[in-house]
Amino acid sequence: MRAVIPVWIGVGVAALAYPFLADPYWLTVGILAIFYAIVTASWTLLVGYAGQFSFGHVAFVALGAYASALLVKDGGWPIPLAALAAVAVCLVVGAGIGGICLRMRGPYLAIFTLAFSEVLRIVITTENEVTGGSGGLQAATLFHGRSDIPYYLVALGLLVFSLAAMGLMVRSRWGLFFRAIRENEQAAAASGVRVVRFRVLVFAIASSFAGLAGAFYAHYIGMLTPDIGSVDQMGLVVAMAVIGGSESLPAAVLGAIAVEVLVEALRAYGQWRLVLFGALLLLTMRFARNGLLTLGWEQLRRALPRRVAVR
Amino acid sequence: MTSYLLVQAVNGLVIGIIYALIASGLTVIFSILKIVNFAHGEIYMLGGYFGYFVITLLAIPPLPAVLVAMALAFAVSVLLERSLLSPLFDPRTERKGDYGILVTFGISILLRNLAIIVFGPFPLRPPSFWPGTLVVGELILSWDRVFAAATGIVILIALLMFLARSAWGQALNAVSQSRESAAIVGINDRLAYTLAFALGGALAGGAGALVGPIYALSPSMGLVPDTQAFAIVVLGGMGSVGGAIIAALLLGVSESMFVALFPDPTRGLSYAQAFSLVVLMAVLLIRPTGLYGRAHAAME
Repeated sequence: MRAVIPVWIGVGVAALAYPFLADPYWLTVGILAIFYAIVTASWTLLVGYAGQFSFGHVAFVALGAYASALLVKDGGWPIPLAALAAVAVCLVVGAGIGGICLRMRGPYLAIFTLAFSEVLRIVITTENEVTGGSGGLQAATLFHGRSDIPYYLVALGLLVFSLAAMGLMVRSRWGLFFRAIRENEQAAAASGVRVVRFRVLVFAIASSFAGLAGAFYAHYIGMLTPDIGSVDQMGLVVAMAVIGGSESLPAAVLGAIAVEVLVEALRAYGQWRLVLFGALLLLTMRFARNGLLTLGWEQLRRALPRRVAVR
Repeated sequence: MTSYLLVQAVNGLVIGIIYALIASGLTVIFSILKIVNFAHGEIYMLGGYFGYFVITLLAIPPLPAVLVAMALAFAVSVLLERSLLSPLFDPRTERKGDYGILVTFGISILLRNLAIIVFGPFPLRPPSFWPGTLVVGELILSWDRVFAAATGIVILIALLMFLARSAWGQALNAVSQSRESAAIVGINDRLAYTLAFALGGALAGGAGALVGPIYALSPSMGLVPDTQAFAIVVLGGMGSVGGAIIAALLLGVSESMFVALFPDPTRGLSYAQAFSLVVLMAVLLIRPTGLYGRAHAAME
């Protein structure tokens, strides 16, 4: 464990230095990558750790984003307070969805959450008097300066906070309970895990992190469309998690960053990018189920001499 | 007003038959492979485009064109099943359910975006199967819809006969009840999986080809029918073809009644897409085994 500390310090310094070295375009890419990293990591908590297959995760991103933007616009709330309230909304709705889905497992849960997500998207699109519909909703931005550096620092702070909170959770007894539920619910219940409580809990927590990311997105981009809750967005998040490695939070973050950078670097190829990510997702699932990045990391560890290898 | 409702009800019935084709394909795949195919709507979309190109490029008449589209969808499904779904039958694969969900979800993203590149993002409309409209009293129906409904009914009857009477149909039923026992009595279960997946694909493809002249074709046309098919399959009982057909007709008619009776017409059209989703969620919550659920067909 101790050998990892220099790596973390290196990553931290690089992350802090990035906004001062990158040009504005790549700074935006970095901020979006962090947004996706929070969304992907929370999906990983829900699916990779607790085994609750949800295809409705981006619905909570949309819910958090619209709730926060509307509270600021129509309610006149200050942005941080509105964002907190949006997180609370996602916590409650997430717990509700987790609660009513208790009888469902695997594919049933996936279908139900997908349906929930599409219904929310249709409602947002249709109720255009409140939400602006597909024309979009103008959201107040957090800062008014020319540079995006403050946004980057806020995003980074949110990412560190989210990862720390979720990381502590999965390392604690709770993480053990989540994985026990994933492997076998009955056996977990028989061993004394309170399955109902922890299924609802993991849904509520993962959804509130998605809502947090959504609220940040709203007040960074300043323009919301129902597309942030679309099936293609969900597909992108799934691709990020699977390519990174869907059973590890850092791998999910790296997957999100790698895919988002690829999305921008391959911008000239337009639609081919989603085809590429679809193909990568399939190849990863077929041949390297623990994730491409996890696989690469293990190959690297094996190739390096023992002394240098980081544990 | 009554004639409007009548036209809507008949239209709903026609759409219900198309839904029945899609959903019976989904339920066949589900009952044999025990996976929910998230890429089913994309096979339906491909079927529509296959039909379009067979008619416009090869100048094949409509009825054979539907059959060719079904054959092509069958072939694509065989390729997909053989290349990507084989780990489902490997005892070393952990958590097969998750694998099935993620892989079919990945296939749907891949096919949808590939279609945007290959076929273009703009809607295409194949030539009419049969121009003109049928007028019976107050009922006005385009011949295309009549053709689609009639062909759909013939395909559904053929499917039911195949499943109930043919040796292969009985073999599929045996595999759906128990893989091991079916293998013991000499059924090639690996082949049964491929056949079931491809049969389901062919049904979706046929539905896509029939729908082409009624609605325009677009790469994202599979998204909504996919969730509608889930609703139908869950409502009819997972794995029951007869249940799926009845549920499809019910959903088709009630959906178009919903559009007809919704007070605000623009919103009504928009919320029609959500209608089946709400039905789906309600059935999953209230009666997860559906109307005609069979115990052995429950998800693992």
